[in-house]
Amino acid sequence: MGNYIPLLITVPCIAALLILSIPGRVRFVREAIAVLAVTVNLIVTLILFRGNATFSMPWAGFGFEFILRMYHFSGFIVLATAGFGFLVTIYSTVFMNGKKYLGQFYAYLLLSVGATNGAVLADNLALMLFFWEGLLLFVFGMIAIGGKNAFKTATKSFIIVGISDLCMLAGIALAGYLCGTLKISAISLPVAGLSGVAFVLLVIGAISKAGSMPFHSWIPDAAIDAPLPFMAILPASLEKLLGIYFLARITLDMFKAIEGTWASMLLMIIGVITILLAVMMALIQKDYKKLLSYHAISQVGYMILGIGTMVPAGIIGGLFHMINHALYKSCLFLTGGSVERQAGTTDLTKLGGLLRKMPVTFTCFFIAAASISGVPPFNGFFSKELVYDGALERGFIFYAGALLGSFLTAASFLKLGHAAYLGTLREEHKGVKEAPLPMLVPMIAIASVCVFFGLWNSFPLRHFIQPILPAESGAPSLPIATGAPLSTGLVVMTLIALAAALLNHFYGYKKTGSGVKASDHIHYAPALRGIYDKAEQGILDPFNIGMHWAAFVSRVGWLCDRAIDWLYNVLIVQASLLIASGIRRLHNGSYKTYILWSLAGLVFVIYFLLRTV
Amino acid sequence: MPSLVILVPLIALLILNLPLGEVMRKASFWVALGFFIFQTVLLFCHHFRCICGSERFINSFFGMDVSVDHLSFMVMFLVNIVALTSLLVARHAIKDSDARFNFINLIVIASAGMNGVTVAKDIFSLYVFLEVTAVALFIAIALQREPRALEGAFKYILLSSIATVMMLTSIAVLFFAAGDTSFASLKSALQVSGKSPVLLAAIGVFICGLFIKGGLVPFHGWLPDAYSAAPAPVSVLLAGIVTKVSGIYTLMRLVAAVFGFKAAVCDVLLFGGTLSILVGAFAALGQKDFKRMLAYSSISQVGYIIVGLGTGTALGIAGAIFHFFNHAIFKTLLFVNAAAVEESTGLRNMNKMGGLSSRMPVTGATSVMALLSNAGIPPLAGFWSKVIIIIALWVSGRYAYAVIAILAAVVTLAYLLIMQRKVFFGNIRPELDGTKEAGPGYVIASVVLAAITVGAGIFFPYVFDHVIIPARSALLP
Repeated sequence: MGNYIPLLITVPCIAALLILSIPGRVRFVREAIAVLAVTVNLIVTLILFRGNATFSMPWAGFGFEFILRMYHFSGFIVLATAGFGFLVTIYSTVFMNGKKYLGQFYAYLLLSVGATNGAVLADNLALMLFFWEGLLLFVFGMIAIGGKNAFKTATKSFIIVGISDLCMLAGIALAGYLCGTLKISAISLPVAGLSGVAFVLLVIGAISKAGSMPFHSWIPDAAIDAPLPFMAILPASLEKLLGIYFLARITLDMFKAIEGTWASMLLMIIGVITILLAVMMALIQKDYKKLLSYHAISQVGYMILGIGTMVPAGIIGGLFHMINHALYKSCLFLTGGSVERQAGTTDLTKLGGLLRKMPVTFTCFFIAAASISGVPPFNGFFSKELVYDGALERGFIFYAGALLGSFLTAASFLKLGHAAYLGTLREEHKGVKEAPLPMLVPMIAIASVCVFFGLWNSFPLRHFIQPILPAESGAPSLPIATGAPLSTGLVVMTLIALAAALLNHFYGYKKTGSGVKASDHIHYAPALRGIYDKAEQGILDPFNIGMHWAAFVSRVGWLCDRAIDWLYNVLIVQASLLIASGIRRLHNGSYKTYILWSLAGLVFVIYFLLRTV
Repeated sequence: MPSLVILVPLIALLILNLPLGEVMRKASFWVALGFFIFQTVLLFCHHFRCICGSERFINSFFGMDVSVDHLSFMVMFLVNIVALTSLLVARHAIKDSDARFNFINLIVIASAGMNGVTVAKDIFSLYVFLEVTAVALFIAIALQREPRALEGAFKYILLSSIATVMMLTSIAVLFFAAGDTSFASLKSALQVSGKSPVLLAAIGVFICGLFIKGGLVPFHGWLPDAYSAAPAPVSVLLAGIVTKVSGIYTLMRLVAAVFGFKAAVCDVLLFGGTLSILVGAFAALGQKDFKRMLAYSSISQVGYIIVGLGTGTALGIAGAIFHFFNHAIFKTLLFVNAAAVEESTGLRNMNKMGGLSSRMPVTGATSVMALLSNAGIPPLAGFWSKVIIIIALWVSGRYAYAVIAILAAVVTLAYLLIMQRKVFFGNIRPELDGTKEAGPGYVIASVVLAAITVGAGIFFPYVFDHVIIPARSALLP
């Protein structure tokens, strides 16, 4: 079995290279190769994912062993990757039709799948980093093919993710140094002192891949500039899976991060801040895709919070939320793509009443939106309940933050659904039709999984999530295996929050008379208005702040450089030439001078020799 | 056998001066070429025997003790290489056949003198051979009776005569102390009464005499004038080997065999060497005349050799010997390049040249190799020798000297690059458009020398183990 594991990396990569080598004039062949590759990938994954197997091959030396390990956790992620890769490729065959750089798009998509598989399966940190960084390149490429502004956004994402990957590199080097091995399954470190630094560096790498704050700001830009399937496959699903997968590996396997440590506190704080700030930004967006992209950031907060609690319920919730998020968020992005393709815009102020024209899309949207808002009985509800349970165990404030986030999430999706699908249909959208079948099938498939994971949540929990937890944590005794929420109190609180979101929406709608403006009373609330303005202008974007400082540092560096240049090119040269001309003047060609010099030298030498006697 | 190295040049001189009239004048170049090649082959044959038997050849020549060891072989090999180069240059550079015939005679005499210096085993015969060499060179510099050359020759004679006085005085004092002039008895006499101020002063005086011969600062007044005023083949010979053999080799030999590496002597060497490095490098930076710049560069590079010697350690002396070898090769090469440029363009002022690489590709390319070796750029030979000297300085705790040596290497690179840019790089000046390579002699000489400097750099470990280390053990067993 183990010998087939590299197929998961080589098949997508070889297919990508094939696609790149086919000229742009040839139609349908690239699509065919891409679909074939993801299908093969899916089949191989389905065969392999249940088993425990390793594949190892000697590599560059210095402990860089090429070792891939398939076990229940990585198998689960690889399966999800293969599924999303397959569905998004099917979707893209129609969505991307006629767009530019088609070959590059499919190549990057397949390479991303291959790199994700590689990074997930790698059991050696150096090997994992190789695929991890590779993903950065493909993300750059995918965004860059998006259009005019895309290159700038691509650069931004490259810088942000590159910096955090650099932290990751440092963390890996440090962990490898402390442990004497780079084999992930052999690493075991405490979170204190130097290995605490390694922990933080690795966590930075993991959560920034997942898109957490403060490494998030390229995602909303990419939502506008990059091709839409990119959003559905990478920031929405693969990067979440990979980032949270690795976060779980760090906290559960590699480091003994346990309940009550500063490491746990740090993760929970990052989680809650990410939930709240991103969802606040999502609430005021007036663009379908951009609104979704902020939720892609916000929801990471739940996962980090869940894992950060370090209690079984929280961890299980965080990991369950990871897969749920990948499902409903990619589904949401795909519905966004349908709207973009059929109605020609994703600007919410120009949309409305699409419900009658695109009922299937709306249904999928509705399921996914209910999921993300945590409406029972969809999957998001159960994972959020688990996270709440864990958070409440660690502190009321974390629970309150998460619940507030839930309220705002629901409010923003009420606004989105209202603005896009309800209300009056616009004149220019009279001729809009439902999306073609290859786009509907992936959406329906994902939405069905959302429903399935909600109604029968014990299936994913028992088969995929619970085995991940270390056996000694007492996970099997948890009542979640039955599929019922843990606490009636929590459910009531959640329902109250959802009801409040509904009331809030109606209040806003009554006040402004428009779905898209339903959140304006929060947007223009006295205290928030100024902050929102600044955030909208990008002043609060950590990237811009960082770039501002980088510009300052580079200015200072430039001045230092000038100064050093001056030192070398002017001062030293001038001084040298001055000395040279002085020496030249001393050589006046007179015999007398030269003889005198020689005699003076003689006197000096004899004096020097006799001095010691 | 060692006496052959003195006998063979004398026989060659006889053949050259056979009364055959015009025939011999015309054939003189080929006779001398054959002689130097023969002598090189002879050296190699002998060298291999010497290596195989690892014996020191001691012989007697008209009552003089002479001996040959690996260092002598290396130096004699260099003498032959540079003399051959000088001969090739002379074929083009000296147009008048009488003058050329005279010059060829002088080269042979000088080579006899230098061979004698390398094999001499007593201090007085050493002095005699030094004078033979020097007199040949006085005449050679003034050979074409140009006013500048006469002035250069006169400065050389004047300061050399001071050196002669110093050396003779010192020899006299040492002779009184030891009752003999052979290295061995002088050494034992100095060991017995090493603290005697008179003997120390005598050592100092002798060293100063050799400093004059070797052109170290502040005894170097004659050197830039003599180098730059001499005809091209003479400056090749003088700069490439004569100064090194008569000043530097003798200093190495005497310090090792007679004076001993006393702390005070080492300090004098270190100080004089470092002063030469600095003054030479900075003076070279300010020169416009190609050959004058090279002359100052020689002073600076000789400083490195003396500093290496001054460390008194096995590593430093090995570095000094290697730098001696390298310097003889690359400085000869640079003087050949300068001669070629002067031959083709009639110019010596670097500010009036430019872009000559496009018209004289071999000269341009070989000068780059010589430059890089001289400036100490890896992997050329000059890099290794400089690095060894600097490491030896550092290891022996002379940090300040080591730092100065490194910084001066930067200045070396600077003035050589300035030269390269002014002379060879860039676009050709319109008035120099018709320039061509100066002639096959220059081309052959430059290519062979460049090949040696590149080869010695690339095969550094081999050269170091099989040439430099044995030569070093001749000085410091």
